Amino acid sequence: MKNLRALLCVCVAAAGASLLAQGQPAPAPDADAPSGPAIDLSGYWTPTMHEDGMERGPGSELADYGGFALNEAGRLWALSYDPSRVTLRNHQCDAYVTPYQMRATGNFRAWEERDPHTQRLVAIHWWAQVTEGHRIIWMDGRPHPPAWAPHTFRGFSTGKFVGNALVVSTTHLKQGWLRRNGTPESDQADVTEFFVRHADHLTNTTVVTDPVFLTEPQLRSNDYYRAPVDHGTWLYACDDSEQIVGRAPDAVPHYPFGKQPYAREYSQKYMLPLASTLTGAASMYPGFADTLGNTSDAAAAALLQPAAGRPNETSKAIDPEPRDGEIHVFPIREHVYMLAGDGGNIVVQTGDQGAFVVDTGQGKLSDKIIAAINGLSERPIQFIANTSFRSDHTGGNARLSAAGMDPSLPGSFFVNSAPRAVTGFFSDPLRHATMIAHNNVLTRMQDNNAPLEAQPADTYLEEHRRKFHNGDTIELFYEPNAITDGDSLVVFRRADVIVAGDIFTTTQYPVIDLKNGGSVAGEIKALNDILNRTNYEHEGEGGTYVVPGHGFLGDEHEVVEYRDMVVIVRDRVKAMIDAGATLAQVNAARVTADYDTRYGSNTGPWTTEMFVDAVYRSLKTGK
Amino acid sequence: MKAAGIRAALAAAAVTVALAILSAQGRGGAPAAPAPTPKTGALIDITGYWVSLVTEDWRYRQFTPPKGDYVSIPLNAAGRKAADAWDPARDEAAGEQCKAYGAAGVIRMPTRLHVTWQDDTTLKLDTDAGTQTRLFPFGQPQAAAGSWQGVSVASWDQPRPIFASPIPNRGGPTVKGGSLKVVTTNMKPGYLRKNGVPYSAGAVLTEYFDRFDIPGGDSFIVVTAELVDPEYLTTPYWTSTHFKRQNDATGWRPTPCAAR
Repeated sequence: MKNLRALLCVCVAAAGASLLAQGQPAPAPDADAPSGPAIDLSGYWTPTMHEDGMERGPGSELADYGGFALNEAGRLWALSYDPSRVTLRNHQCDAYVTPYQMRATGNFRAWEERDPHTQRLVAIHWWAQVTEGHRIIWMDGRPHPPAWAPHTFRGFSTGKFVGNALVVSTTHLKQGWLRRNGTPESDQADVTEFFVRHADHLTNTTVVTDPVFLTEPQLRSNDYYRAPVDHGTWLYACDDSEQIVGRAPDAVPHYPFGKQPYAREYSQKYMLPLASTLTGAASMYPGFADTLGNTSDAAAAALLQPAAGRPNETSKAIDPEPRDGEIHVFPIREHVYMLAGDGGNIVVQTGDQGAFVVDTGQGKLSDKIIAAINGLSERPIQFIANTSFRSDHTGGNARLSAAGMDPSLPGSFFVNSAPRAVTGFFSDPLRHATMIAHNNVLTRMQDNNAPLEAQPADTYLEEHRRKFHNGDTIELFYEPNAITDGDSLVVFRRADVIVAGDIFTTTQYPVIDLKNGGSVAGEIKALNDILNRTNYEHEGEGGTYVVPGHGFLGDEHEVVEYRDMVVIVRDRVKAMIDAGATLAQVNAARVTADYDTRYGSNTGPWTTEMFVDAVYRSLKTGK
Repeated sequence: MKAAGIRAALAAAAVTVALAILSAQGRGGAPAAPAPTPKTGALIDITGYWVSLVTEDWRYRQFTPPKGDYVSIPLNAAGRKAADAWDPARDEAAGEQCKAYGAAGVIRMPTRLHVTWQDDTTLKLDTDAGTQTRLFPFGQPQAAAGSWQGVSVASWDQPRPIFASPIPNRGGPTVKGGSLKVVTTNMKPGYLRKNGVPYSAGAVLTEYFDRFDIPGGDSFIVVTAELVDPEYLTTPYWTSTHFKRQNDATGWRPTPCAAR
């Protein structure tokens, strides 16, 4: 036996000798597998700020866009930006989007989240001191959310180890800054990041791809050194405490095209040609300085406003609406769901009473909508509210109503004691849900000869309608003359969800339907009314969710950016009207040039020109 | 019989040990494959043409900043004094127009790079800005001390534990990629920026070249650099500089050094 043990020892020694002699590590699991990190980010990190220290510390200078691959829309958006905009209530706590957050001043902390049973790496958390930015980089292979899911300042990140780097892909970002002087990043940007660690030196490289504002990927890198101890200060208290008394609710600080008062300040201060910071991607490459002499001052000044004689750009945003013939259910909060897939977004609230539905889509997928609702609610649809009469929000009224019932009416006084008072649509409530809307919705649908069974019979006339249903207070607020003259906001108080209808979309300029009572003033008021009812959960995001008529689920940040856009375009058109411009002159001025790559269209039922036309005529008629 | 069996087992074990050691040393049985050279064993491929993307410190790199403009650089008093004494005319008169094109400065220039293997053990990096050449030998330094580009030593770098695990399969995953690490010393004193921000002859430059590929086909090099120079800097100076891959020599335009 002793000899056998000796033999065993000799064999183990042989194996060990072999490994040591080869100098090779033992065979290892796949380094790309989610369980095996190539580098460890855990710990406390401090940015060195040895690059762009002025920009990242005290702040960037106005109209300094050198080294950014901005397209015309991006450049004009930045030039229009007035830093006073952050004094607006809904902007005061805007957080930083990831590409800027990683570059910001302040300290960072990273830690791993592991499955307690398998010890596999689930996520890497990255906490930023400034704005209390909490990123989660999912390492467990989960997919990115659908296009109609909410966007956040941090976005949705997934990571994997490639070589010696952690490679992170981020989507679903909010609109934000690439630089604090208003250099924009759109909510359509995607980011690829590379984290590489050399001892206690961590380098994060961000590559931003933004079809709305950039002509090519924007690459920057950030360096951090590992701090041995906790920095200690991790909070960043912010609320909208700054008050500017007397400012009109429809005031949004911005500069008119061509009238940025500080546009020349940077170039003059550093004795650079005006064109140097305005020429986009060319400014990133070698030889750029040599080419500037070819640009006259007049040509450079022309870059301060939209190029003349050019057709409007069109949206470069991805279509956030599923068009696969299916209905997609997205849970929002407290048994409130968004259903996407049949034109306008639909909202369903469930509980121990029948389902409460807001809008019914365009009516092409009604059977699938009903099936989806039946999957969410044990009880049939009881109420349907319409945010407007528009066909992509009422198209399914008849089918959805017919699939529901309103058990609150049978056995009531109206039916049992005064049956003659119950007529028309109310006469047989067990055969259909009750449909609610502002009375002008009914009027418009009657004018359009909509089928009787599609018309909301339970209408209201005043500014407010309330219900308590499924344990929540549901309020309808009338927004006169916004998109039409019959628009309602539907507010689920406890769930903290606002259904905006087409007053707010993430896909296009607002469809201000002058013929049916819409107006630009009413649209701005309606957007402000949404903002008066929202709150953020943390640093300008989350909290109240706002369901757009079309597009991805938003919160107040999407609404305030949209409101800003409408106000800014309104102001530009108004200034031209005041100067005596005709509609043709306004259109030729490309007053939406900084927003067209996000919202613009030159074809289809609602073009950029139709929007500008609506704003112009609305203002001319005093609406 | 039993004793004979044990003797046979011990003999077999002895043979096993011998074979294992011989195999590990590459002398047993079939001829061992030659040890990889730095070129054949490269962890990443950074050869080819690359163009700098000047997206950071843009004004300082695309243009020559005015004297005294040395924001972001952790200069000490001696460093500031030297920077404040910048005189490009004097540099030109002294034939030292290349002071900003030394190893610690040239990588920050708006430039194109052409990276090739000079031989199996030496990478060569040419810049068209200033028409400079840096040599990265893996092993014995090749350049003369006191030149603009100094003396560099290259190695392939991977995150590794300090000690190899003695237990098979318990050492953690192996990192597949890595970085090119280059340590450069003995540089002729030069400028970090064209406006005379100095580094000294005693400065030590450590660089890591990492290559990244993004969806869509673009590839980038990020050069993460640390310059340690107690004579002029209060702390190590860290930068990370980017280059995008080009398919060919488009735009390659060698230019002489310029002091202004």
